[in-house]
Amino acid sequence: MDAEERELLEQTLRKTMSGASGPVLDASLADLGWAEMLAEEPGTAIPLVFRLLGETGAHASVLNDIVLRETGGPPGRTPALPYTGGLWVEWARDGSADDCPLDPSLPLRRVAAGGAVPLAEGRRALGWWLLGTGRAMLALARRHVLDRHQFGRPLASFQALRHRLAEAYVGLEGAEAVLTATGDDDTCALLAKAAAGRAALTAARHCQQALGGIGFTAEHDLHRHVKRALVLDGLLGSARDLTREAGSLLLREGRTPRLVDL
Amino acid sequence: MRTAEFRRELRAWLDGHDLAPGDDHGLDAQVAQLARVRRALWEADWMRYGWPREVGGLGGPGVLRAVLGEEVASRDLAEPGIWSMVEVLVPTLIDYAPPALAAEMVPRLLSGREQWCQGFSEPGSGSDLASLSTRAVRDNGGDWVVSGQKVWTSLAQYAARCVLLARTGGPGHDGISAFFVDMDSPGITVRPLRTMHGVDEFAEVFLDEVRVPGERLLGAPGDGWKLAMDLLPHERSTCFWHRIAHLHSRLDRLLADGCEPDAGALGAAWLDLHTARCRSALTQRALAEGGRLGPETSVDKILLATAEQRLFDTARDLLPGTVELTDEGAWRTEYLYSRAATIYGGTAEIQRNIAARRLLDLGKE
Repeated sequence: MDAEERELLEQTLRKTMSGASGPVLDASLADLGWAEMLAEEPGTAIPLVFRLLGETGAHASVLNDIVLRETGGPPGRTPALPYTGGLWVEWARDGSADDCPLDPSLPLRRVAAGGAVPLAEGRRALGWWLLGTGRAMLALARRHVLDRHQFGRPLASFQALRHRLAEAYVGLEGAEAVLTATGDDDTCALLAKAAAGRAALTAARHCQQALGGIGFTAEHDLHRHVKRALVLDGLLGSARDLTREAGSLLLREGRTPRLVDL
Repeated sequence: MRTAEFRRELRAWLDGHDLAPGDDHGLDAQVAQLARVRRALWEADWMRYGWPREVGGLGGPGVLRAVLGEEVASRDLAEPGIWSMVEVLVPTLIDYAPPALAAEMVPRLLSGREQWCQGFSEPGSGSDLASLSTRAVRDNGGDWVVSGQKVWTSLAQYAARCVLLARTGGPGHDGISAFFVDMDSPGITVRPLRTMHGVDEFAEVFLDEVRVPGERLLGAPGDGWKLAMDLLPHERSTCFWHRIAHLHSRLDRLLADGCEPDAGALGAAWLDLHTARCRSALTQRALAEGGRLGPETSVDKILLATAEQRLFDTARDLLPGTVELTDEGAWRTEYLYSRAATIYGGTAEIQRNIAARRLLDLGKE
């Protein structure tokens, strides 16, 4: 896929996700050739689709496809997925579940403990999703501080808020670098999801503050992204879990792996 | 030469040539060790890769210098801060000095025969560098006469030359010019600064009617600000890579020193370092592909400074009492030095101002 085709695909996906979510979006993605993209150009398709899910606030059951692709099992199933705290969930494909109390729009339901599944690809995909969610929150906060005036000045002119948004931005840029630079290594994927989860939660904190009262209302979109970030962070291991796992690896090996090189 | 091949051959060479420093960790010894390592690497050609032939180099991509610096830092052959100074000084000479001057001088620095310094900050001009007040006036013979005071000038007491910023015109950016000054010129006094980490690597430089020949002007009158801005991409690519390599070696040392097994804290320190490393790798790839680096390198700077302070905070937490009470002072010195990471090279606040203004496009304050 060249740059122009990629750009076109991004536009199409963004438009599709802006108008549909859940099973409807699953169907649209199937029509757009999701299965073929995943088979032929996973390196392009996964980052793009998952980041755009975050940016648009839509959701689809595509995480199942990523995990199944890695296990090599038959497509169409809904594997049990580990959640933080020793819990397990599944991502219903028919949109029927409404079991996620924090983010009820997600068809995520708790299930009995499942078997071990390979997690690297799923973590990387969720990392891109969290990155997109973080960028969506930052875009909302940025618009708000430019538009709203207090004390006769735009909020964007106050350094305290500028630095908060700069902090959110730096975290997201760092996470994108980690997601981009990763190879096929499991540890790279683990660190990538940890970085993305942490960056999304940092963005949530600063953007919530910059948006003030309006960001706390149900009518403003921010809370949807905040809740999405919290739920996705726990899936396949939270930033806290994964950071600790990374530390355990250091203690086991006694040396810091250099995972990217020039 | 390809990067991987260069790394492999360099490692083999370093394995066979013992350049490890001695037991004396004082600043004199550090600077002598730096010169020794440079001399050996210059004579074996490693120090020449990635620099243009016009200044004694062997050509090839600049990324080879990042690889060399990483090996030097990882093996603790030289202190990474002073090792990296050539990365900003040499490109400045190449871009702004008359070609003959660059060809004559650069090999002296790269081969370890000389140290140079960089006279930018002043007592009244830290974050607001463009307000600097050291003055250079042209006399009838075409020479310049420079008077003023510099501060935070690394290695000034060892330096043979200085890339110096001084005001030749009116106030603001446009009135600043740059000079290549011999440090043995009459009228220069150097006084090392005592700092909190106990290594006197920074100095005050007093300039009292110092005569600088006309041909030592770098660029044209008024090019000083541009020169200062042009060196940022160099500092924030190769130099950062060296520093990140150094910090990885310190995380290794923390593990080797039998730290408390706090997996969460160690993982967080590694995550910050890994993030800085990934970002720096992308920055250098962009540079290698001919991209111009701009305000986005403030992200690299913030990530690095944050990672550095977190690492040494973690070391102090997980080796309790070591920074405060042990006789062997490596952790103490480096912990204290890390406090400056959010101050030098543009403070954390200046970097966030740049991110807000230039990267998030939030308009003026």
